[in-house]
Amino acid sequence: MSSIRKSKQVIKSSEITPESVYLNRRSVLQTIGTLSTGLAINLFVNDSINANENQLTFSPNNKYSTTESLNSYEDITTYNNFYEFGMQKSDPYNYGSQFEPKPWSVKVSGEANKTGVFDLDDLIDINALEERIYRLRCVEAWSMVIPWVGIPLASIIKKLQPKLNAKYVAFETVYRPKQMPGQRRPALDWPYIEGLTMQEAMHPLTIIAVGLYGKELLNQNGAPMRLVVPWKYGFKSIKSINKIHFQSKKPLTSWNISAPNEYGFLANVNPEVDHPRWSQARERRIGAGFFGTKQPTLMFNGYAEDVANLYSGISLRRNF
Amino acid sequence: MKAIVRIILLVSFLPYVLLNLKAFGFFGGLGANPVEAITHDTGIWGIRFLILTLALTPLYHYSKQEVLRKLPKPIGLVAFFYVLNHFLCYAIIDQAGDLGVIVIDIIETPYLIVGWAGFLCLLAVGLASFNSFQEWFNKNRSTISGLVYTAAILGVWHFYWQEKVVSYEAVLDSVMMILLILWRLRISTEKSPS
Repeated sequence: MSSIRKSKQVIKSSEITPESVYLNRRSVLQTIGTLSTGLAINLFVNDSINANENQLTFSPNNKYSTTESLNSYEDITTYNNFYEFGMQKSDPYNYGSQFEPKPWSVKVSGEANKTGVFDLDDLIDINALEERIYRLRCVEAWSMVIPWVGIPLASIIKKLQPKLNAKYVAFETVYRPKQMPGQRRPALDWPYIEGLTMQEAMHPLTIIAVGLYGKELLNQNGAPMRLVVPWKYGFKSIKSINKIHFQSKKPLTSWNISAPNEYGFLANVNPEVDHPRWSQARERRIGAGFFGTKQPTLMFNGYAEDVANLYSGISLRRNF
Repeated sequence: MKAIVRIILLVSFLPYVLLNLKAFGFFGGLGANPVEAITHDTGIWGIRFLILTLALTPLYHYSKQEVLRKLPKPIGLVAFFYVLNHFLCYAIIDQAGDLGVIVIDIIETPYLIVGWAGFLCLLAVGLASFNSFQEWFNKNRSTISGLVYTAAILGVWHFYWQEKVVSYEAVLDSVMMILLILWRLRISTEKSPS
């Protein structure tokens, strides 16, 4: 069976959540609300952060982690886009519970020596898990800081031995309309598909996450395994992956099919290239507080030093 | 009659009361992005009440319920109230009241130009409805109604244009707007010249 075994955790990320995160205005308001409404909110927060279930063992990766304040577990697990569960940002949290991420297998196909159906455990070395604290920048101009737990995608790809003509890796999200109510509506062309160049996929910043805040991923965040590519807009980081395909030509991607002039294949975070309908120059950091101002968006989401060389000589305006 | 109008007015402020309660943590609170929650909520209710304002005339036309004839102005003002909150939330909280930033943001964001134009239309109607302009307001009903139609069209467009994938509500609002415009055009061609 392909479940990630429960075990004791080395460091509890929830314990290093900085005070500043909790001292924002919204929390103050919530505290007032809690005092007046009883324990409902308080119980929810404590429950979701302190539950000892599904803990993962991992080691922190400081080289690739930011020291910025983390978003709270509550924010990360109640506010995100996962259209498979609905188009509202609270939908993944509200309608994700029917989804069954265990057992899980992934079909690997295309230009590789090792193809076939793999259990989650075959692909992900549970003893090699790292924590990566990454910025996440959504194409909608909001952002978070998230402590992912996962392994470099490169380590999985090496195992699968892609052939020389495998220039791209394509990914697919599982299609289960019975468990994913959003898939019963034609919001996007289901199943959700994404892709990376082989160079991007092999980059040390690119990871497959299986957890966050030291615990297994919840359904709403893309359980049991998802991509995290921190220098690209969030929609590139495809969730609940059950197919990986190596190929020589550029893969199609869901958002590019949906609106080709708005969402490109590369989708690198770029403050200088606006979305046709809104500016990408600034972003709202979730949890910055009710009167927190927007902050400037950084080139490649602040990872330019590590990834800019992947795109030298390419017009990022044309290849948005 | 007055009592019924008052009750309807009170009910129309319920979404606003609910939003305020959420801001203080009731009913699950505003979520991780409270600014977005307030902006979206006030905007959506602004459009709903604008469409309701325009729907009152055909509703009266067919039902002949007197109370419907008394409602366009108060419901229109309720719509203006929500849109004003929507705009203030954007300007003062989302953009931190920085006029330079707001101007650049509006220029860079096409759906904001449309929304801004719709807001100006409603602002004109709102100002004209003050007591000192009462006579002008009553004499220029067709101008007022034209401005409200324009504001509603721009509002729905603004709503539609900022979505990544079109929602049911945006489709429903657009369909209702088209029906209301068609009805209005038919009525005015039937009546003219009057």
